[in-house]
Amino acid sequence: MLKKILIANRGEIARRVIFTCREMGIETVAVYSDADKAGIHVIEADEAVRLGTSEPSESYLNIDSIIKAAQKTGADAIHPGYGFLAENADFARRCENEKIIFIGPPAEVIEKLGDKTVARQIMSKGGVPVIPGMLESESDFKIIAQKASEIGYPVLIKSAAGGGGKGMRVVASFEEMEEACVSASSEAAAAFGSSAIYLEKYIDQSRHVEFQILCDQHKNAIHLNERECSIQRRHQKIIEETPSIALTPELRDEMGKAAVAAAIASGYVNAGTVEFLLGPDNSFYFLEVNTRLQVEHPITEMTTGIDLVRRQIMIAAGQPMGIAQEDVKARGHAIECRIYAEDPENDFFPSPGTIEYLKEPSGPGIRNDCGIYQGCTVPMEYDPILSKLVCYAEDRQSAVKKMIRALNDYVISGIKTPIPFLVDILKSQPFESGQTYTDFINAHFKDWKPASYNAENPSNANNMKNAENKADSDIAACIAYIADELCGRPETKALGTASKEAGFATPWQTLGSWNR
Amino acid sequence: MEYNLKIDDRTVDIEHEDKNENPIRFKTGDEKFDVTCFPVSDHQIHMTINGKGINAYISRDRDGKTVMINGISHRIEDADEQKRRLSRKKGGSNGLPEEITPPMPSVVVRIMVNKGDYVEKGKGVIVVSAMKMESTLSAPFDGRITKINVAEGDKVSPGQVLVDIEATQ
Repeated sequence: MLKKILIANRGEIARRVIFTCREMGIETVAVYSDADKAGIHVIEADEAVRLGTSEPSESYLNIDSIIKAAQKTGADAIHPGYGFLAENADFARRCENEKIIFIGPPAEVIEKLGDKTVARQIMSKGGVPVIPGMLESESDFKIIAQKASEIGYPVLIKSAAGGGGKGMRVVASFEEMEEACVSASSEAAAAFGSSAIYLEKYIDQSRHVEFQILCDQHKNAIHLNERECSIQRRHQKIIEETPSIALTPELRDEMGKAAVAAAIASGYVNAGTVEFLLGPDNSFYFLEVNTRLQVEHPITEMTTGIDLVRRQIMIAAGQPMGIAQEDVKARGHAIECRIYAEDPENDFFPSPGTIEYLKEPSGPGIRNDCGIYQGCTVPMEYDPILSKLVCYAEDRQSAVKKMIRALNDYVISGIKTPIPFLVDILKSQPFESGQTYTDFINAHFKDWKPASYNAENPSNANNMKNAENKADSDIAACIAYIADELCGRPETKALGTASKEAGFATPWQTLGSWNR
Repeated sequence: MEYNLKIDDRTVDIEHEDKNENPIRFKTGDEKFDVTCFPVSDHQIHMTINGKGINAYISRDRDGKTVMINGISHRIEDADEQKRRLSRKKGGSNGLPEEITPPMPSVVVRIMVNKGDYVEKGKGVIVVSAMKMESTLSAPFDGRITKINVAEGDKVSPGQVLVDIEATQ
């Protein structure tokens, strides 16, 4: 078994990996950049090694420094988390060469599946349904246009190297084609260093449904059911849930089998995710394989009771799976909301800064994978994810209500977060009724503004009600503003006499306030 | 004691009677509220307003407070105090910022102008990036670039003037 693991990542995911390592009796090494000297992962780990300056290329993307840190601390293995080097075949290969276990699939598999067109070819051959489209990337606009008319409009242009929505364009007709090709390939070149693009049929009213897979080194492969991640903003997932409201047991079984077939076709080892697009007629198509632990993995852990990081470590150590497909039983419903440092009132512009106050929600069925603490600074150099709030309940409706309650109990001050936006989505009729297609945000929340703006335009009954609530809420907030001064803080530094002068006969005051 | 509070985009006139009473009586317009409160922590107070318990989370800064209740956060400033402050500050006539400064700590990605260039109001002058998002700062008025104070790759913070522009008449 492994004795010491270096986590080549930061923030909430590094902390989450550390937790499982500690439970397994494995020592942990954190790595950090200058921006993260006091990062949560540095605080939680047994050891911490500085990589370099704040730029990702000098720190979390610096393969040499990370390998050196692993050698210096005597780590057996490296867990890459997600993002940064998690899907970098060169890094995995370097680990293999240096005799350090890379907790993830073999370099060769990462490489094959990283090229979306190669992945499509593998899946086609392996009998996994792929979206009708091109199997190879192309740069000649005339050939692309000809393919588009063969596939039939609307089509979707995608980047061969890409992900995260960069280089993606929906094209409705021939007239739009040339311009779209030019802009998509230049965007892809800027983002990934490769301008290669290809076409897929565009499927309207589709859902993003992905399957968690686990494969050991002994040719055992299972899936752990699906996650629906259709709620996306700028092609980034923001709310994920399992099970998907759109899947029947038969369809789940069929898609799960396809996911396992995809894993086998690519020679997969360790935890991975097979992404599918699910059409309105229940036809499904392979999108891509994510060769890493996903951001949204906790919802699968909640419903199946399986610790995915523990399984990743056991598989990397060469242990056999020990669970068969029929042992996997999912219960209840889990939802995850991603909490980013961004300002929902200002077009979701990033909002780095210092966390002045933090109160995490708690209660039955609530898990918060949190990468911040009160007083810490959220650096501007990296992805702005602060935490992932996960709620588990016996059914979807209860899980949604729990999530709304938990979000309303979550206090993060000092920076902006999209919590009000998430609450409005969860409370909305289209979400409640499960009309969660990938265009959800554009279709229902394109011009979303916080409640205070709606109150100015009480055009319908619902808004009237909002306006009344808003007025009540305003007055409560104003009273709180004044009460805060009457309570005599922050000047009143735990002085019993001063509190008495404020005139509130509660036992708390005689104890003094809990100021530091 | 009377207060004139600016909350988000509206103003609320609110007053309270003797603060040594328990509960304290608050009034705004025709509405009356009986309020008790005590601090839970530096950033949390618990209130009852007409018998209903409410937790408020408060962070304070130089210009006012941010009060969060039930997941909704409200920006509140003392309107009288704010008026005094505004009259001291010279503000832009068109509501645009007068200076080219980033909204948050960022890194300069591209400088789109040269010293001596004439720019029209609204033209992109400099691109900054924070947390992988790029944002273009634009000229607040027609003018001539008199000085570029930063280089590409520099880290910059709000308040720092990145480019000096002299207004053309």
